[in-house]
Amino acid sequence: MDKSIKTLLRYEWTSFVRNKFQLFMLAVIMLFGVYAIYSGQSEINAQRKTIQAVTQIEQEEFSQYQASFDEELRSLEEEELHDIASRPSFAWFRHGYHAIIPPHDYAALAIGQRDLFRYYYRLTGMSLHYQLFENELANPVNLMVGNFDLSFVLVYLFPLLIIAFCYGLYSSEKENGTLALLQIQAVSIRRIILVRLVFYFAIITSLAMLISWLGLITSGPPFKTENLVPAMAWTAGVLAYFSFWFALMFLIASLRKSSSFNAITAIACWLLFLIVIPAILNVVVTTKYPLSSTALAGLTRRTGLEDENDEAEVREVIMEYLAHKPQLAGSDSLINDNMMAKGYAAFTSLKDINSQKLVDQYNEQVANRTSWTSRYHWLSPAVNMQEVLAQIAETDLHTFLRFQDALADFHGDITDFYFSRLFWNRPILLEDYHNRPVFQMTETSNRWSSVGLGLGKILLAAALTFFLGFYLFMIDV
Amino acid sequence: MQQLLIIIKKEIIIALREKLVLVLGGIMVLLLGIALYAGFLSYQQQQTIITQKQAEKREEWLHQGDKHPHIAAHYGTFVFKPKTVLSLFDFGLDAFTGTSIYLEAHHQHEFMFRPAQDHSSMIRFGELSATLVLKVLIPLLIIFLSFNAYTRERESGTLKLLISQGISFGTLSWGKILAYCTILTIILSPFLIGLLLFSWVGNPSQAMPDETLRLVLLTLAYGVYLFLFISFSVWVSLRSSTGRNALLILLSSWIFLTILMPKTVVNLSKSLYTLPSMREFKEAIEQGKVYGLDGKTPRSERIASLEKRLLEEYKVDSVHQLPFNFEGVKMQDGEEYTHKVYDHHFGKIKETFHRQNRLSSFASLINPFLSVQNLSMAFSGTDMYTFLHFEEQVETYRREMIRKMNNDMAENSKYGEFFEYAAGRDLWEELEDFSYQPPTVGELLQQYRLELASLFIWTALFLLLINYTNRKMKPLHG
Repeated sequence: MDKSIKTLLRYEWTSFVRNKFQLFMLAVIMLFGVYAIYSGQSEINAQRKTIQAVTQIEQEEFSQYQASFDEELRSLEEEELHDIASRPSFAWFRHGYHAIIPPHDYAALAIGQRDLFRYYYRLTGMSLHYQLFENELANPVNLMVGNFDLSFVLVYLFPLLIIAFCYGLYSSEKENGTLALLQIQAVSIRRIILVRLVFYFAIITSLAMLISWLGLITSGPPFKTENLVPAMAWTAGVLAYFSFWFALMFLIASLRKSSSFNAITAIACWLLFLIVIPAILNVVVTTKYPLSSTALAGLTRRTGLEDENDEAEVREVIMEYLAHKPQLAGSDSLINDNMMAKGYAAFTSLKDINSQKLVDQYNEQVANRTSWTSRYHWLSPAVNMQEVLAQIAETDLHTFLRFQDALADFHGDITDFYFSRLFWNRPILLEDYHNRPVFQMTETSNRWSSVGLGLGKILLAAALTFFLGFYLFMIDV
Repeated sequence: MQQLLIIIKKEIIIALREKLVLVLGGIMVLLLGIALYAGFLSYQQQQTIITQKQAEKREEWLHQGDKHPHIAAHYGTFVFKPKTVLSLFDFGLDAFTGTSIYLEAHHQHEFMFRPAQDHSSMIRFGELSATLVLKVLIPLLIIFLSFNAYTRERESGTLKLLISQGISFGTLSWGKILAYCTILTIILSPFLIGLLLFSWVGNPSQAMPDETLRLVLLTLAYGVYLFLFISFSVWVSLRSSTGRNALLILLSSWIFLTILMPKTVVNLSKSLYTLPSMREFKEAIEQGKVYGLDGKTPRSERIASLEKRLLEEYKVDSVHQLPFNFEGVKMQDGEEYTHKVYDHHFGKIKETFHRQNRLSSFASLINPFLSVQNLSMAFSGTDMYTFLHFEEQVETYRREMIRKMNNDMAENSKYGEFFEYAAGRDLWEELEDFSYQPPTVGELLQQYRLELASLFIWTALFLLLINYTNRKMKPLHG
């Protein structure tokens, strides 16, 4: 490091520690950061508790069923329970399985859409669409205002801090009358500004890193394999996003206007990236791809067969279903046994099959929306950053859409398990309980590539902004 | 008076010289235009679909064919949450409240489908609506316009000259404030006309009867809010030594009032008053239905005591001899008990909602942004109170539907019969179509007293503050 830079840094440090207001601002944002971590963690912990509770309910339910096998059945209730446990004609719609998407350790830092979507479902063999659309209880006001999590502090508040520190990057010298003194030095003014920029970058980014790592460490061990890459990506994201804002402040300073002008312009940019652009994109996408859930609502109606006593009708329904599922078909005499239960099972499954197209259309429109908006993410590094953080913490829309797909598969496993026994008139045995369907969700491969792409866009914006500022500083006014 | 007019005129001319402010003003007008148009478009799109679907569901109900009333009560019907015409102005909670509900016997379903679920996480940045521009962006424009109101005079030395002319600080301040008010009125007037036109076009069937009153109140609330921001900015400028300081203070206040505080208050309220999960909520209702609210009167016991009571009342010794179908009465009795259980548990949820939102009402006493936010949603019919009010009417309608079905079963079918009895279209028609009556403005004002008080108090405070400071200011400061 050459000597002039050392001197410059020393003076920056002196003026930094003397400015009580700046120190105060750093302390305030530190407090907000800690509060955000706490608030995010308490939200996610509440979700963890709910998950624990529902898992326990499921375990109790099934251990009751299993216990009913080896007990001497005495009371009527015990016999009823054993029927539910062993007879597929009861079991297929009584046995409840929970499909859960447990929060990633870092979901507490970027809650994303996790408060809006359901993260657990209880599924039985009944029509999937009966069970899919119920919401979690939530105060709509809270949903509207959104979460005070660490991603909010990083995406919204830190840029404001950067603006507050850097709006006088050049203009303060001019306004204090020290500019002329600097200009007669051997060091170029651009260099002085750059050193100052780097100095503030170091200070503010270190603070952000401190808060981020505080959050990362308290939310989950960062050196665990599944946390390491997210923790690194988080760090890289913060660096990229802050680079952009510092580059922007450098560009604004390069215009060599007054402090007030700089502050107004910087705030206007903040407003543009954090409020105006996303708000416009949201309202455009809502009107461009209109969606009405009213069509899906109809699927939740619990209709039954027209006349349950009409054997011909019941048989017809079963045959129609078996045409879709030939592997369940057996001889005619198999159908006659327990026909009502089969008829009802066939009926609700047919409903799913017939309404699948409607659901697919709806999901396709949602996909249209997200692919349209993601095309415009580059317009706002803030939107980009928010999305990247949500992706890192697995709280983005895409994760929940994958969850929906996994739910459908899981529901298929459940119906296969029970229907193969129901339609073949086989009881559920105690050992079958070891082969019960288990919910699984596969990891996607493209998660990190889209995180990388998002980061790339932010970095590119930062680089372009910086070089534009560098160029403007070169031109002598 | 003459002086005041001259000052107003001069301030307007000065403001118009600021290119940056002009550009920002232009952008605001443009944004308001886009917001209004998009709001109208989405209102129309949604309202068309909802009206059409609601009619469709009504037809389905009427043409469900002859069947047993209890099967009909299970077949049920749907209600879709209508868009209010003023949602084109303020979306409010619309993206986050459920939009459709299935009405059925035995089960109180909850509203499904929150529109925000069909968006990427970007939706959490908010949608562009006229309110967003008015309550967040325009205050910023005001700050840019007026942070220099006094500091410029002070920095260029004209303040001394002005005071030496015998102009009081009071006249000067009012001149500046009124000048900015005039500029804003001019900027906002096309928007106001547009809003009137759109809401007039969008409300042909008078679904919102007191729409005009609501519009007047909206205009008033926002008028007061923006006036507060103007006087605050001018006051800060008066008290600041340099423009840079004034700007810093104003920008920090803006961030605190419109971004930080609303979010913090809501988050705090969430951790102070926690909600149960849906699973726990439903489980509690199930338990209540099976074992009784007190946990000690199971369903069988309730039925037995109903049977005993009816047998005694009609002086017969078996339910077969009752002059009506006991099954129907039993069903209705069970239903009413379910209502009691549901009201008990949902009442607790509503209480939690109320407590959570109450915190922001109290906070609005400190922060007029919160008052105008809550009032604006209320007058637009997109607030929490209106949503719960709607939910309540839907539930009443559901109960009415079930009651009609059960009563018909009790009166017209025999004990022990089920598939033998079928009701028809006459009965289906007895249930009127659902139509929603939003709460009156009077009711809303009752609910939002704190917010109203906040606006009054702040206005009074600022009027006093400006006059008091003006008297205390010594011209030597310039």
